[in-house]
Amino acid sequence: MANHKGVLVCGEIADGKLAPITIELLGVGRKLADELTEELCILLMGGKTGGLDKEAIAYGADQVYVAEDSLLDGYNSDAYTQVTANLCQEVLPSIMLLGHTDVGCDLAPRLNARLGGGLAMDCMGLSIDPATKVLVSTRPIFGGNAYATVLSKLARPQMATLRQKTVPPAERNDARQGQVIPVENKIDPSGLKVKVIDRIKEEVEGVKLEDAEVVVAGGRGIGSAQNFEMIRELARVLGGSVGATRPPCDEGWTPVMVQIGQSGKVVSPKLYIAVALSGAMSHIVGCLGSKVIVAINKDPEANIFSVAHLGIVADFKEVLPALTSKFKELLPTQK
Amino acid sequence: MHTIVCIKQVLDPEIPPAKFKIDPEGKKVIPPPGVPPVISVFDERAVEAACRLKDKHKGKITVISMGPGKVADVIKHAIAMGADDGFVLQDPAFENLDSFGTAYVLGKAIQKIGGYDLVLCGRYSADWNNGQVGSILAEILGISVVTSACDIEAVDKKLRVKRILKDGYEVLEAPMPSLITVSGEIGLPRLPAGMRLMIASKKQIPVWKAQDIGAEPSALDKANAHLEVTGLSVPARKTECEFVTGNTPGEAADNLALKLVKLM
Amino acid sequence: MECLKEVIVSPVSATYWGIPGYVIFWVLFAVAFGLFAQRFYLLYRLMRLGKQENRFDRISERIKAMLVEVVPQWCTLKTVTRKDLAGLAHALLFWSFSLFFISYIIFIGLAGGFGLSPLIERTPFETVYFSILDIAALLVTLILIVAAIRRYVIRPPRLEPTAEAGIILVMVFSLMALHVIGVGFDHASRGVHTSWPPLGAALAGFLNQTGLSQTTLEATSRGVWWLHYLVILSFMVYIPHSKHLHILASLVNAFFKPLGQKVVLEPIPLEALEAPEGEATFGASKILDFTWKDLLDLYACAECGRCHIHCPAQLTGKTLSPREVIHHLKEHLLETGPKLLAPQAEPSSESQVDMPAKTMIGDVVTEEEIWACTTCGACQEVCPVNIEHIRKIIDLRRNLVLSQSKMPESAQVMLRNMQQRGHPWAGVQSMRLRGDWTSGLELKILAEGDNAHTLFWVGCTGALVERNVNATLSMTRVLKAAGVEFGVLGESETCCGDPARRAGYEFQFQMMAEQNIEIFKGFNIKEILTACPHCYNTIKHEYPKYGGDFKVVHYTELIADLIRQGKLKLPNELNSRLTYHDPCYLGRYNSVYHEPRRILQAIPNAKLEEMERSRDTGFCCGGGGGLMWIEEQPGTTKISQMRIEDVLKTGVETVVTACPYCLQMFEDAIEHKGVKESLKARDLVEIVDEAMKSS
Repeated sequence: MANHKGVLVCGEIADGKLAPITIELLGVGRKLADELTEELCILLMGGKTGGLDKEAIAYGADQVYVAEDSLLDGYNSDAYTQVTANLCQEVLPSIMLLGHTDVGCDLAPRLNARLGGGLAMDCMGLSIDPATKVLVSTRPIFGGNAYATVLSKLARPQMATLRQKTVPPAERNDARQGQVIPVENKIDPSGLKVKVIDRIKEEVEGVKLEDAEVVVAGGRGIGSAQNFEMIRELARVLGGSVGATRPPCDEGWTPVMVQIGQSGKVVSPKLYIAVALSGAMSHIVGCLGSKVIVAINKDPEANIFSVAHLGIVADFKEVLPALTSKFKELLPTQK
Repeated sequence: MHTIVCIKQVLDPEIPPAKFKIDPEGKKVIPPPGVPPVISVFDERAVEAACRLKDKHKGKITVISMGPGKVADVIKHAIAMGADDGFVLQDPAFENLDSFGTAYVLGKAIQKIGGYDLVLCGRYSADWNNGQVGSILAEILGISVVTSACDIEAVDKKLRVKRILKDGYEVLEAPMPSLITVSGEIGLPRLPAGMRLMIASKKQIPVWKAQDIGAEPSALDKANAHLEVTGLSVPARKTECEFVTGNTPGEAADNLALKLVKLM
Repeated sequence: MECLKEVIVSPVSATYWGIPGYVIFWVLFAVAFGLFAQRFYLLYRLMRLGKQENRFDRISERIKAMLVEVVPQWCTLKTVTRKDLAGLAHALLFWSFSLFFISYIIFIGLAGGFGLSPLIERTPFETVYFSILDIAALLVTLILIVAAIRRYVIRPPRLEPTAEAGIILVMVFSLMALHVIGVGFDHASRGVHTSWPPLGAALAGFLNQTGLSQTTLEATSRGVWWLHYLVILSFMVYIPHSKHLHILASLVNAFFKPLGQKVVLEPIPLEALEAPEGEATFGASKILDFTWKDLLDLYACAECGRCHIHCPAQLTGKTLSPREVIHHLKEHLLETGPKLLAPQAEPSSESQVDMPAKTMIGDVVTEEEIWACTTCGACQEVCPVNIEHIRKIIDLRRNLVLSQSKMPESAQVMLRNMQQRGHPWAGVQSMRLRGDWTSGLELKILAEGDNAHTLFWVGCTGALVERNVNATLSMTRVLKAAGVEFGVLGESETCCGDPARRAGYEFQFQMMAEQNIEIFKGFNIKEILTACPHCYNTIKHEYPKYGGDFKVVHYTELIADLIRQGKLKLPNELNSRLTYHDPCYLGRYNSVYHEPRRILQAIPNAKLEEMERSRDTGFCCGGGGGLMWIEEQPGTTKISQMRIEDVLKTGVETVVTACPYCLQMFEDAIEHKGVKESLKARDLVEIVDEAMKSS
């Protein structure tokens, strides 16, 4: 245990750049490393990582491990696990941070299974206990109904996946100095059991949900695919995006890509209109960052009203058409 | 094809949030009275995935569940959906295990059952949301793992799995046996039909204790837990919601639009 | 009278082309009867292919019920309203036609076929009988004209302008005309001069004046007689081929009608449970999955369409019409039936027969129709021939849910909740927990080892839905004020199973029923007081089949009784105009019409106005049969809103009901209509609670 030192961030590359979550991880990792007076390292994996090592240093890394291999071009669970596990066994970090992303959610538990560390998933807060110098992670449980603080007394590395957009990104300082270390270990092809056949992107019409300024989201109460059109119509008029809780996605009223909440996306628009959704915490955790939350629900006791700023207690089928046409009237310039 | 599904019984995630109570001292959640626990959401989808494979390729589904109390209920639920057999893993030594401990116990039970082509778990449990047991279990069993599947097909002794991504999905090919964790996108679980409900309700579910599966006390020693819960809290949240009204819902909608336009 | 001396020669005793009339008479009869019997036997055999069901109990009671209903024509007279007198017309037709039927036996069968005419003809009996028939014929003709105008010109929604109906009208008219014409020619040809029977005699007088030769008159008279005979025979042959089969089938159906309880749902038979998995069919997917009684119902239908115009689903623009369901099932049976009989199949081996190209669910009755039914019972209430529509719908649902796993999403959400959570209200949809309503009240919440004589069974909606909890609280105050001792189950109460059963999820219902019965017995409960008419009906009528015989009381019955005994005083003036809506499962299903009204009348200054559709013709709120949770067909009017229109017509300030579903539905509809300020929906017990308070 005493051999384990430093904070290692598992970096992600998106469209040839450091993914936003990686910059966030560098930010929080820097703080943790400083408190421990240890070093912050990052691992970058890919077919080519061209120039991103410099960038990682600018965002706060002291050391950048670079693993370049054609097998690492695009996420391959077996290959990434192998490379990362090997590196951890060599470097012996005390803390290992990943993003709570498609990659992190898959990689972190696998890695931990190999390393036997202590992993906290989906964290919203990370800190160092001043007395014991142990990593304390805060994470939502029971779909956000409660928060737990967890720590690993003995198991190392102490691992965590961090939810996106919960900490500010690291500040860039191009003057920073750091070391780039190529990872030499070759990937053992016999360890690659699961083959990636294809990767398909599903486009969702309109503004990208995560970037939208207005999100209109529907829940189970919408009742049918046909009724969900009303949600789309309002979103169109407001120039916003459509979101949903899990039931409409389950029922196929709307693509699963628009699911907001714990098992979906996290959004923070200026205006969030929640329609016919009761407000299960597992959904609310996905929209709490919104500036104004409007709830339309016929049950005055629906939980959504406990987080909403404005509300109408009525059947959405009566409200939405009127609301949509009023907006059409008031926002003549909207397409 | 023989599929083993690991399921968990959890506090009903659909209880009203206002009724969610914890004991911060004991670091426990206090289940509200009169609310029957249910099968964890994604675990039920895993059972559904197993049933779909059985619909297509025949074979057998075995369900296991570790937990205190009336865990047999979720096994019965899975049997009502289409599983053939089920075992309860129950022992005082199994209580309050972390992900490693849980995976160890499940692994022992799966090794006892043996002869499987596929192990399914939910993507994460609806209570502690850890999302690790599947991956650790695969490591223990020494088989491949695919997480967050939204579709599973068996083709030529191989598994073709769609893994859900934030902006689409990837198609993976895994050998048999493998462990796959199932995500919600696989679709709604079936309503137990036919007389399966009756068959299940009358079925005796065997209970396996630590010694039945050969679980070593040392491996279950909680002092060696990888992760420890040190605090529990319920988020304070109470926004003053301003209710917009009108003589009719339509009028209320108009008033709301007027308010929002000012904010925008 | 000179005519008495005349030798009476009936047309049958003449010889035609060398063939004796008797031979022709009996050959014709044999052919016609053969055709009739052949058809009839086919129908009988088809019916026997249906599943077993015992309706042979309480024979004397059944005979009595049948006679009381049919002979005085109560079956159709009960449906007479100021706007629809067809029932009265039917009764007159029935009685008239009965007279004609008897006359055919006497004057054509006995007099003609058996050569007894000398004993019968020209007797005062004949004169009197024929005179009555004359009047009847005139009456029938008038009714036929009105009926034809109604069906083909005015076209009320309940009647279809079919060719079949036209054929029948023409045939019946021919019978009437031929009777009168026959008498006219008979009298004219034999020179009978009397003034009775009036029409016949008048026609005879007219014929005598035309100067037609005696031969012509005699020949025509015979011709008319034979034509009359032929039409009678044709009518007999046509009956089992047409909707007039109901003449026979409805009589039998009245005998086999459910006694006591109005909607009888049979548990799924044991053999279905014992069949190997995957081979068992549940409910009805093929026509022969229905019981013989269900098939008899199809024969009994006269397509009068009363069900069609009383069905709330139909009236609000949904695709369901009980008349069409029955009619299409009948067509389907007759279409596929002969094929099913062809290989001399045993009733039990019908599964080996090639399946008809049409599937019953889908082609004959659509899923949309099946899920539109609120099981309100309006169709069965008005049906003059005792057709049991609802259990057929439930059987179809059972098949969809249990065998095919096909149901609307909303139905599946509800059923999943029933299965996993023990109540139909989806998790977060309800912001309460089962036992919340008991907090702060001093109640006897039954726990292990307790005993209670009377259990107050709250019901899911009364315990879980905010609006209804208010009524539940009123209920406990009223019970306490009247000194009624009772226990409650609190958080351990579950659903009675009604929504699962109505939605076809029979096994879930059965498990809940068995479990509840066990709980009741465990606490030694003798009497169950329910707030919800659906629980009331289920526990009272459906639990006994699972071994649960308890005294079940709806609160309206109890409160009416408490008031009568003076144990409950209602001193406070209400000073409000109100109307009472009969919940279907309290009214039509259980005939509790008076108690709620008696309670309201006991409150000083409560001015009760009746809606046009009330009591047995009360209109559903839209919430029964699981439809509280299952989405109504999109693009149609909501049933609850149509009902609120009825309320608004009375101009009252309050609509009172005694069912949690109705209350929910009305609150919704009032909100929709934007009449919150002028109209309130209240549960009767809330009104009682207010009238009782000593403030």
